Amino acid sequence: MKKFLLASSMLIASAFGAEAQTINILMESVPDTRYVQEMLPEFKEKTGIDVQLEVVNYAEMHTKLVPQLVAPEGSYDVVIVDFYWVGEFTKAGWLQPLDERIKADNFPVDNYIPSIMELTGRVDGTTLMLPFYNYAMGLTYRKDLLEDLKHQEAFKAKYGRELKVPTEWPEYLDQVKYFSEDAGIEGFKGVVNQGQRPDPISMEWSNYLFANGGRYYDPETWQPTLATPEGIAALTQYRDNIQKYGPIGAANFSFDDAFNVAAQGKAYSYLTFNMFRPVYDDPASSQVVGKMEIAPVPGGGLNGSWGWAIPKSSPDPDAAWEFIKFIESPEIAKKRALLGGAATQKQIYEDPELIEKYSYYPQLGELLAYAQNFPVFTYTPAFVDVLGRELSLAVTDGKDPKEALEQVDKEFAELLRKDGKLQ
Amino acid sequence: MTEIRLANVTKTYAGGQTAVDAVDLTIHDGEFFVLLGPSGCGKSTTLRMIAGLEPISSGDLFIGERRMNEVDPKDRDLAFVFQNYALFPHLTVKGNLTFGMKLRGVPGPEQERRLAEVTVMLGLAPYLDRKPGQLSGGQRQRVALGRALLRDPVAFLLDEPLSNLDAKLRAQMRTELVKLHRRVGRTIIHVTHDQIEAMTMADRICIMHDGKVAQVGAPMEVYRNPADTFVATFTGSPPMNLVQGRLENGAVHFAEATLPLDARTGAGEVTVGFRPEDLSLAALPNRLPIQASVVAVETLGADAILVASLAGGQEIGMRVAADTQLEPGSPVSVHLDPNRLRLFDRQTGKAIARMA
Amino acid sequence: MICVGAATFAAAAPTLRAGPPAVDGQPSPQPEDKLFMTAAIAQRDRWFGFAMTLPGLFALVLVVLFPILFTLWTSTSDFTLLKPSNDAFVGLSHYTQAFATPEFRHALSVTLAFVVAVVILEFLVGFAVALALDKVEHGKAVYYLILLFPLLMNPIVVGLIWKMFLHPTLGIVNYVLSLVGIPPVDWLGVPDNAFWTVVAVDIWHQVSFMIVLLLAGLASLPKEPYEAARLEGAGTIRCFFWITLPLMRPVIVVTLLIRLIFAVKTYDIIYIMTRGGPGQATELVSYYIYRRAFVGLDVSQASAMAVILLLAVLALTAWLHRYMRSLAQ
Ligand SMILES: Nc1ncnc2c1ncn2[C@@H]1O[C@H](COP(=O)(O)OP(=O)(O)OP(=O)(O)O)[C@@H](O)[C@H]1O
Ligand SMILES: [Mg+2]
Repeated sequence: MKKFLLASSMLIASAFGAEAQTINILMESVPDTRYVQEMLPEFKEKTGIDVQLEVVNYAEMHTKLVPQLVAPEGSYDVVIVDFYWVGEFTKAGWLQPLDERIKADNFPVDNYIPSIMELTGRVDGTTLMLPFYNYAMGLTYRKDLLEDLKHQEAFKAKYGRELKVPTEWPEYLDQVKYFSEDAGIEGFKGVVNQGQRPDPISMEWSNYLFANGGRYYDPETWQPTLATPEGIAALTQYRDNIQKYGPIGAANFSFDDAFNVAAQGKAYSYLTFNMFRPVYDDPASSQVVGKMEIAPVPGGGLNGSWGWAIPKSSPDPDAAWEFIKFIESPEIAKKRALLGGAATQKQIYEDPELIEKYSYYPQLGELLAYAQNFPVFTYTPAFVDVLGRELSLAVTDGKDPKEALEQVDKEFAELLRKDGKLQ
Repeated sequence: MTEIRLANVTKTYAGGQTAVDAVDLTIHDGEFFVLLGPSGCGKSTTLRMIAGLEPISSGDLFIGERRMNEVDPKDRDLAFVFQNYALFPHLTVKGNLTFGMKLRGVPGPEQERRLAEVTVMLGLAPYLDRKPGQLSGGQRQRVALGRALLRDPVAFLLDEPLSNLDAKLRAQMRTELVKLHRRVGRTIIHVTHDQIEAMTMADRICIMHDGKVAQVGAPMEVYRNPADTFVATFTGSPPMNLVQGRLENGAVHFAEATLPLDARTGAGEVTVGFRPEDLSLAALPNRLPIQASVVAVETLGADAILVASLAGGQEIGMRVAADTQLEPGSPVSVHLDPNRLRLFDRQTGKAIARMA
Repeated sequence: MICVGAATFAAAAPTLRAGPPAVDGQPSPQPEDKLFMTAAIAQRDRWFGFAMTLPGLFALVLVVLFPILFTLWTSTSDFTLLKPSNDAFVGLSHYTQAFATPEFRHALSVTLAFVVAVVILEFLVGFAVALALDKVEHGKAVYYLILLFPLLMNPIVVGLIWKMFLHPTLGIVNYVLSLVGIPPVDWLGVPDNAFWTVVAVDIWHQVSFMIVLLLAGLASLPKEPYEAARLEGAGTIRCFFWITLPLMRPVIVVTLLIRLIFAVKTYDIIYIMTRGGPGQATELVSYYIYRRAFVGLDVSQASAMAVILLLAVLALTAWLHRYMRSLAQ
């Protein structure tokens, strides 16, 4: 009897061993995950490896990941890392360096757009992740109104400049003002903002900061630099756009609240993630099909991206690398882009077949080239929390922009000191 | 002027159960009126309809000249003692007793005076600060009674207010109630299934049976002249003897005895009724002798009941002296006072005629 | 004779047991011996009872007390998500730090206002509805079902639905208001509005809890005292204040307490609808503590705040309990 049990259990074990090698990945439920899913049969065919995707909401991801990362052997072979978490994950030392594998397989890392590689790729000279998809922000605006002669004339008469895709920040601010106050369209606003704490407002305001030539910190010393004339101007403009030129309620809008307003044709412009651009052309969720276009934010918008990584707790790092290598190969990256994926590699944005399909790809490529990064350190999420709070107080609660930004600088500095970045 | 009158009042509960069936009753102003009947005959239901706690299904209720069917209980000005006490569980005995006075804004000193009076009468003084949950059944009942007695209503409606008291206390309370009634002169409708209570206290008794009024009358009237066999057996202890007989040729024949009657009465099967005290062992003048045999003698203390079996096997009871010694099985001759004999229709149970 | 016997008894006594010393050669009287024996039996019974409750007590300690003790321990050490261990003891510094944090103090005061507002309003609305429903004779089950519906909904869903309904330009609420000529209301974009909107949504979501509990309480009240009171001449209002309210007191206390404790823990609605904003208008303490732990990675600091909150809730509970009891006297 005992022998029989032993034999059968060995049989089962060997059957499993021979039959399926499986890797597990925790993913967020976003369109790019779907495109990855569609590539899995091809991967299985090539390598014989099964891939199990566990798809959850963003809010659950961090809580699910951390215990598995801390454990000596976790349940995920591959993880995806938001740029938000890069500081924390690397500080804790949870990710395996990829440089040797890259070199061994001669993986073309130079394909990646440098700012994105900097955000979710290389940390202090070590490659810990490969960029997965980007969510850099761009300026989406009403192309049809911009091209309307009536508006072009009226705008020029009032503001003394041409009405065109803005390349200067003040130009854009004038357009916002014009479409709210002078265009004479009932119930129409120049801009819709996403003022909810903490991420929406922080992400959006970053664009205003960069557009005014401001920075989060001095790259040499990590000294915070928000309570500067540039920062104060950015916050004052942001407050005015919400309070004076935006629809009511924008002070608490999340991404989708704001997007819906723009997609219902109630606003001229919306600074948002570039992956929303195709949705404007989807009649199911948009009233402005063919009327919206995307452009780089004057001064360079905010960058954002996710990266693939192999955790130290990965049960099967070799299979994990096989997968990353496959999913990020130029061929598969293009296939994903064709499905609608938000690519992170340069050559995709220059690919004629893709430009044929997505007319705005050149603008996107440019946008990504100039996108600027949010401060990445161990306490990035905590910093976003502080920033969101103070921005929201300035926008809705009458807090003086200078005071608000001074408070941010103060708490930012504390977090940086805690992280050892600032002396 | 505060006569209470029920005209053709019927109560049918939601389940289709008719608890009170076409009752006509008039309770005179200031009368001590007792509703007597077995359990489930509709006494409480009748009382609750008068109080306004149960809607009347059909018929009319008048208090004085006014039709009261739709009048809210709080506007009827009646004091009620509930069969299940219905005390306020969150209030002390004192709180329960003064609830109504507070509600009506009786001034404090007056409250205290009346409270003291009732407390003494009901022996509740030691319990004033207790909650109902800390009282015995009898004590609760006295609180319920006290709550009603502290009112000065148009009428008191008492639903078995003495049922839970011990024999001594009950007798004492009976007297107190009668005294109170004499003093305040208010109408009292008193529900009971205890015939002694009914006999001792009532000006008039209404005997109910199966939701109907069986008979209304003064206690002795009901006792002497029961309207049907139900009343006959429900009153008296032991109850009236009922034996089968036949009406024929102007005489009633039962148990091998024959009693001539008025010619007016007809012929047919009857039930003959007589009370235990209407029989004697001694052959007094004008009595009708009947042959029987002794079954048993049950001693009650003051007197005893002789149970005897008549020809044909029917048993009867008869009140005899306490020291009566008779062997079971021995023949005995009992003597009936013919004037006290009552006849009932065998089929309907209704009384047939009064004997001359 | 008797004296002699007593003396022998007294001499023998100490060897038998450590009883009270005999005074003046008088032995301790007989009854005390019995008392001693019954006391011994009672003692044995007590031990037996205690032994019988041990498994339950152990489970309770494990399930309830352990996490609390662990939180206490964590709050006095330096546990962060980056260094998940409890080995460094830092005393009460996290507690002083908590009170020195203006955001935490602010969150506490917002939470207090929120809890007071929702508990009182939900109680008043809930009691009124329960009283009305108590009178309903037909279709009670249907009412119950409808009422239970919000309660069965996940708070996340409730938040999402109401956020959609209250969207200032695209939501149905402002649309309906516009039909009767009321200009659009900025439900969540203005600090004061946002606070009361969140309160209102919480009421929508949770008031059924009050209704259902209070209704159950009302349904179980005895009918007779009302009949007695009506006959004494009490109207509806007197009946309510003199009978219903006092009789319902235990149910009310329990309902308020449970609701209060749950209200302190309100989190999901805030997360979905406002994230504590605009400004700091809806910064509820549970959401703040959560962020402190999982966004700020500072588990020990968050534990200290959680302990402070726990103590505050305990104090509030005790106070409410005593207050309600004092009302009964
Ligand atoms: N709420 C009710 N619903 C349905 N039937 C009822 C209800 N209350 C009483 N009854 C029925 O009505 C009949 C009369 O009841 P009632 O309480 O009037 O009797 P009662 O004469 O007071 O009896 P008891 O001496 O036992 O108190 C009974 O058969 C009882 O079962
Ligand atoms: Mg009854």
